[in-house]
Amino acid sequence: MNDAQTLAVEVKAIEQITPLIKHFTLAAVDGGDLPAFSGGSHIIVVMRGASRVHRNPYSLLSSPRQLSHYEIGVRRMEESRGGSHFMHDSVQVGSSLEIAHPVNLFGLDKIARKHVLIAGGVGITPFVAQLEDLHGGTVPYELHYSVRSPEHAAFLDTLRSREGDRVHMYYDSEGHSIDFEGLLSRQPLGTHVYVCGPAGLISRVTNTAKSCGWPNSHIHWEQFSAPPMGDAFEAFLARSQLTVHVPPDQSLMESIEAAGVEVPYLCRGGVCGFCQTRVLELDGELEHNDHFLSDADKAKGKSIMPCVSRAHGKRLVLDL
Amino acid sequence: MLITSIKSKPVYEPLRADVGGRYHLMLASGPGGEALLRVLGEIRDAAPQALQNTRALLVPGADAAAHSNTATRINEVGVTDVRLFDDVASLLTTFRTVLDESLMGTRLYVAGPESFIGLAMKLALEFDMNKDEIRAEELGTSARRVYCVHCRTTTEDVKTNIVNCAGCQRWLLVRDHYSRRHAAYMGVMVDAEAPGELPPMREVYL
Repeated sequence: MNDAQTLAVEVKAIEQITPLIKHFTLAAVDGGDLPAFSGGSHIIVVMRGASRVHRNPYSLLSSPRQLSHYEIGVRRMEESRGGSHFMHDSVQVGSSLEIAHPVNLFGLDKIARKHVLIAGGVGITPFVAQLEDLHGGTVPYELHYSVRSPEHAAFLDTLRSREGDRVHMYYDSEGHSIDFEGLLSRQPLGTHVYVCGPAGLISRVTNTAKSCGWPNSHIHWEQFSAPPMGDAFEAFLARSQLTVHVPPDQSLMESIEAAGVEVPYLCRGGVCGFCQTRVLELDGELEHNDHFLSDADKAKGKSIMPCVSRAHGKRLVLDL
Repeated sequence: MLITSIKSKPVYEPLRADVGGRYHLMLASGPGGEALLRVLGEIRDAAPQALQNTRALLVPGADAAAHSNTATRINEVGVTDVRLFDDVASLLTTFRTVLDESLMGTRLYVAGPESFIGLAMKLALEFDMNKDEIRAEELGTSARRVYCVHCRTTTEDVKTNIVNCAGCQRWLLVRDHYSRRHAAYMGVMVDAEAPGELPPMREVYL
């Protein structure tokens, strides 16, 4: 994906649904249907701010059967690099945005005999669309949804009214916590578990599932890392013969794009592997922040995911 | 001609214990019991408490006398839930009910003739078990189940390169093309172009 392939959309509605989350409704500028997608898909929203361009991934939460508009939920991040603040503060009804076509890196397993969905906070968004796909089907499913306190439970009313007691709520404020061992040690053969939310929740679920004997092929998770900030560094792009300066609050990918060089991407969150770039020379250390490369590949230092990863040291030469 | 290096032909490895699993479900036919005993030894050494979550379903196989004490020996390793069946069909009936009440974290071990492995895997597949959860070792006859592509009948216990279909009586060439869903090799009419001209029949799947 690159910016030449984006779709022009207009913001049709904005609703503040929790103290931190705004719900945006987007429709094609030309009034037509948007591309079809399946539950779990995300889009990249391109935000052209005054001083810089943000491209953030957001899960689609609208019904995959309703293509006249897309809906996304955007949580205002405390340590925002600007993207979520731009969405919250600068985007208004009537604003134009560009979005990339939907991509699904978090799809439901089609032959599962049961689905267990576990959401933390704004991690509910991909499940809202997946539940549309699951509702009315023959495969059993249940949602376990953990939030700070009742006022933070985005989309709960909609989910409750449709899904009833398939929705299990956990409020930190009331001292609730998910009994991961109890939940994952008593699932029938052929169950798949899906988790989306904070890193701590994802690791609790994946580690508990593995200790209960679940194979990796039955464990699914998605977490879009925002590109972490870090020290400034420089990268030399060998094929373009360009030196790129990466400031502390900008990602390597963003800096490369600002220099006019396109990097192919799908998720911009360290998940999909699409932007994997060869490291030709390195005098220093790579700071891998992605969830894609294996630990062994990270240690080799021959590849980097410029969407979220950075570098320290004297020299970094990339095959771009 | 038609029998070439077809990739769907299953390849089995010697069974090893997977102590990452919480429950161990073991199936054996005839000489397969020896492979289970080897795996049980590994489990006893690495995670002895897992023997309490282990159950074995056994069928004597062709040479029943040679494997008559398998159940007792499995008992002696520390597995209390050992069930012995008269034939593969009744073992599979029970296997289905066991799968239906089994939990995530179960590992399946199957040892015996390839046709037995195939039938067990076909059922496990219906329960969405995959290669991360199933291990199989081939021991005993390599006689094949052959699925007729013309009348869809499966002919059992085929030892020869060509076979007369039990359903439509066509002469079928037994290919290496294997279907996990049918737990059978594909059989296609061998004399379609020159009726009655059959290649020599040879016993190849012994």
